[in-house]
Amino acid sequence: MYGQARTRGDNVAKVLLVDDDQAFLDATSELLSMLGHSVVVASSVAEAQEVASGRVFDHVILDLILPDGSGLHILDDLENGDTTNVTLVTGHPSVKSVVKDLYGPNISYLIKPIDLKQLQGLLDSPVAKKPRAEGRSGLHFGHLVGESASMKKLYEMIERVAETKANVMLMGESGVGKEVVAGAIHYASQPEGALVPANCGAFARDLISSELFGHEKGAFTGASHRKAGVFELAHKGTLFLDEITEMPLEQQPNLLRVLETQKLTRLGGTSAIDVDCRVVSATNRTEVQLAEENCLREDLYFRLAVFPIYIPPLRQRLEDIPLLVEHFLADFNRQYQDDIGVDQAAIERLQSYDWPGNVRELRHAVHRAYIMADRDSKTLVLPDDLSSPFSKTGENRMSGITVGKTVEDVERELIETTLQHLDGDKKKAADMLGISLKTLYNRLNSYAEQEER
Amino acid sequence: MNERVKQLIHDARNPLNNISVNAELGKLALQSNSDIERSVAALDVILQECQRCSQTLQELADTLGSESDK
Repeated sequence: MYGQARTRGDNVAKVLLVDDDQAFLDATSELLSMLGHSVVVASSVAEAQEVASGRVFDHVILDLILPDGSGLHILDDLENGDTTNVTLVTGHPSVKSVVKDLYGPNISYLIKPIDLKQLQGLLDSPVAKKPRAEGRSGLHFGHLVGESASMKKLYEMIERVAETKANVMLMGESGVGKEVVAGAIHYASQPEGALVPANCGAFARDLISSELFGHEKGAFTGASHRKAGVFELAHKGTLFLDEITEMPLEQQPNLLRVLETQKLTRLGGTSAIDVDCRVVSATNRTEVQLAEENCLREDLYFRLAVFPIYIPPLRQRLEDIPLLVEHFLADFNRQYQDDIGVDQAAIERLQSYDWPGNVRELRHAVHRAYIMADRDSKTLVLPDDLSSPFSKTGENRMSGITVGKTVEDVERELIETTLQHLDGDKKKAADMLGISLKTLYNRLNSYAEQEER
Repeated sequence: MNERVKQLIHDARNPLNNISVNAELGKLALQSNSDIERSVAALDVILQECQRCSQTLQELADTLGSESDK
């Protein structure tokens, strides 16, 4: 059976919780105990110093402002402070930047209102800054699952590039986990700043500059506040630009200039701001497509793809499926507080499918099978047919209609696909296409002539 | 924004936060060991905290109202 590897007991964390709000303290400490962690509470700096003396904690969760002083004082007295994960409870993310200056970047945050997911996320994964011998079992760089040859190659690339400041371009089909790999690169590089993800396809066309570079108050109609762009937010960290080719061509020179000069000016601003971050960009196009489709300027490509990394599709690493399924099951078991496993027959079926939607599709399939799981035997129940309407298997692969193709291209594809399907029977093909046999011959002759030229 | 308004917004977040944490607690108590008593206790805290949040919002409304009167 898979999926049994991780039980709650694996992750018992020793937590010190300090807050002056008694209701919060009561409920949160009980919640953490129910999750299997051991909790010590305190409601002031003095009390915290008293209960903490002589003990070592895995996590300290703190209110910044306590009745008798700043919560940060507690950290100064902590034994073994450098292996303790520190988390501040705050009402607003803006506190981050202030505290960073005071106490360094090695701090996580819980943003009110706090929910279970936040707490679990905090306690289940150790803070990225301190790579303890591979945090969660089997995860590479805190993010990646798989032991196949192609993944091992990927791990080596990540390790190498993490030592440099080079910009990385991630290539791979939709659903292979480009954002997860970006997270792994960030984790492996341990930069001071944050990982800031942005999807170029999700920006409104006329706001893209403002989203990337920020704007000053009054820079344009509707700019009621000064706003930092994603470049600024990723300062000293990692900026992840997904679907980079969705950025309009006329905007690309602006991005190029920032990458070249490492300086940016907010819209409506006058002074230049230094930016220092690694840009990890991603596309589901191949290098050949990038070159042919003219969706990314060549000069920008070379700036972004200093270190290109190709992420293999799932069908090229089917041997990783048991590990991936186990990983997803552990997630779902934690989320639903259950203990569902998977039998060998199901694993084999999952391995015999070609997963055009890659790991994302696998995750959805496991999620679905989890919901349908047999409650008595506690095992996943797969649907009769795994394939999705987006499946690329079979005939539809041939006749892709995409914008930019000419009517002639599509017609040719249609004719050739039909002929293939009918094993070259031209009479039947002409019938099926609704054209005369003569027309069909004419078309085929002209294709042959085109080839010769 | 004046300091008083900032303070009140901060104060409104605390009961909201307690509502969130107690809702999770109640949910978990029911899900993991069908502990109805514990869940009811959590719901009682949620109700109290709703009142507290409402009071704070009223104070905020009053503060903003008196400001615009000036």
